[in-house]
Amino acid sequence: MSNLLDLVVSGLGTGAIYALAAIGFTLLWQTSQTINFAQGEFVMLPAFLMLAVMRAGAPFWLAILIGVALSAALLGLAFKRLLVDPMLRHGVLPLAIATMALSIALKESVKTFYSAEAQPFPSIAPSGSLSIFGASVSLQSLCVFAFGVVVVVALNLFLDRTSTGRQMQAAAQNPTVARIIGIPVERMVTLTFVINAVLVALASLLVTPIYLAKFSSGETLGVAAFVAAIVGGFNQVRGALVGGLLIGVVDNLAAAYVSTQYRAAVPLALLIVVILFRPQGLMGRAEERTV
Amino acid sequence: MSDAILEVENLVGGYGEMTILNGASFKAPRGAITTVIGPNGAGKSTAFKAIFGLLKLRAGRVLFDGADVTGATQRRLIAAGLCYIPQGRNVFPELSVRHNIELGLVAAPPDLRDGAQRVEAALDRFPSLRKKAGQQASTLSGGEQKQLEIARGLLLDPKLVMIDEPSIGLSPLMVRQTFDMLRALRDRGVSVLLIEQNARSTLEISDYGLVLELGRTRMFDRAEKVLADPRVVHLFLGGSIEGDAA
Repeated sequence: MSNLLDLVVSGLGTGAIYALAAIGFTLLWQTSQTINFAQGEFVMLPAFLMLAVMRAGAPFWLAILIGVALSAALLGLAFKRLLVDPMLRHGVLPLAIATMALSIALKESVKTFYSAEAQPFPSIAPSGSLSIFGASVSLQSLCVFAFGVVVVVALNLFLDRTSTGRQMQAAAQNPTVARIIGIPVERMVTLTFVINAVLVALASLLVTPIYLAKFSSGETLGVAAFVAAIVGGFNQVRGALVGGLLIGVVDNLAAAYVSTQYRAAVPLALLIVVILFRPQGLMGRAEERTV
Repeated sequence: MSDAILEVENLVGGYGEMTILNGASFKAPRGAITTVIGPNGAGKSTAFKAIFGLLKLRAGRVLFDGADVTGATQRRLIAAGLCYIPQGRNVFPELSVRHNIELGLVAAPPDLRDGAQRVEAALDRFPSLRKKAGQQASTLSGGEQKQLEIARGLLLDPKLVMIDEPSIGLSPLMVRQTFDMLRALRDRGVSVLLIEQNARSTLEISDYGLVLELGRTRMFDRAEKVLADPRVVHLFLGGSIEGDAA
């Protein structure tokens, strides 16, 4: 049982990464009814952007900054202007299908133009392990978890404590009324896309040292983020956090105690149970929409 | 300075292919309560939306306080002194009451310094909002939500308040309080343009009455004259002014 703690901590580490992607996912849904099926590829891509910048000779820290900025421009602004805005006019479903196409395009582009091989990626977290109550715990997982929590707390403070954050919430909760009292709704929606792009870039920075940079790595991440968002409650930032951490831990424990072959099935089983018994998610509120 | 705070000319517009406004023209006199009445589908709410730039007009002009504001952005309209309170629930359910009200300052001019005091004064004016200032707006009763919308709308001292059926879903007592408040506003020099289903009791507290039918203006007069006109009663029973006149 001594490695139970280590399993939980490393689960929390990957869970924090899932949570970042899941939070971005729910933010896009809340402000613009965008279901981004390319979210996994959005996490995969920034690592390659950073690798490309490093290949050009930049140090790691500069590559991180440029990678995050490029991500904000491409996965935030360009994604919204070039894909979401034109497609959303045709409805939520055409947009969702377009994001599926985008996920394939991103995956294949990386494979074709960068490499089909998995690439090593430097870690911002220290390696080694820490001894807690006699159990050895991965220092990297602990740091990743801490970093993820700090990002989520910062995001929550921004949303709740600043005027811009509250305007974003208002634009998501009731866009018509937001417009009527003079909130620049369109600008708030754009800001959400930029925030999502930064979140996925940070998730990319954290996850890639663990699983390597590979064109196909978005597949698992996308499903995990999607499941985390639904399990936690699709309309809640804190729900996505809880969902992400839960999926991370359950996934890790399942791999150790059930079977590595079935580990991917366990989060999906959890998803089915949640949808059957608590469709609004663990932290979510029931949502009504007029069609 | 014109005697009308708001003047619309020949408004034509609707939703998609459907035309609701068929050339409506009317005025809202300055410093008065004007009530818009008319059967369902007459274009009352649509006219409000068009004035507030939420509906693209196919033709027509909107003059506010002497300036042409046709198709202006909501921010510009608010800055010019226009406030629009639509039908139904218009709060942000998961934000606190205080934060909901504070958002009424979003379109404030950059040199506004007393925003925080204005929010406090708004909370003082509505004791039940003050009591629930820290709670989520979703916990308010229907009447309290309407109060919140009014408090938020008055934050920037509008010159004209356009309010669409404030009495829907309110208790008779709340309706009276709301009407009293509109009258108090009028007495302070604020103009009010009001839509109400309950035409008789609303016209009784109004200065002017405006009758819309099929997207056109049918009548505009002092409220007591509109109230006394037999054709108005007939109109609300499903007839039309022409039919009655013939």
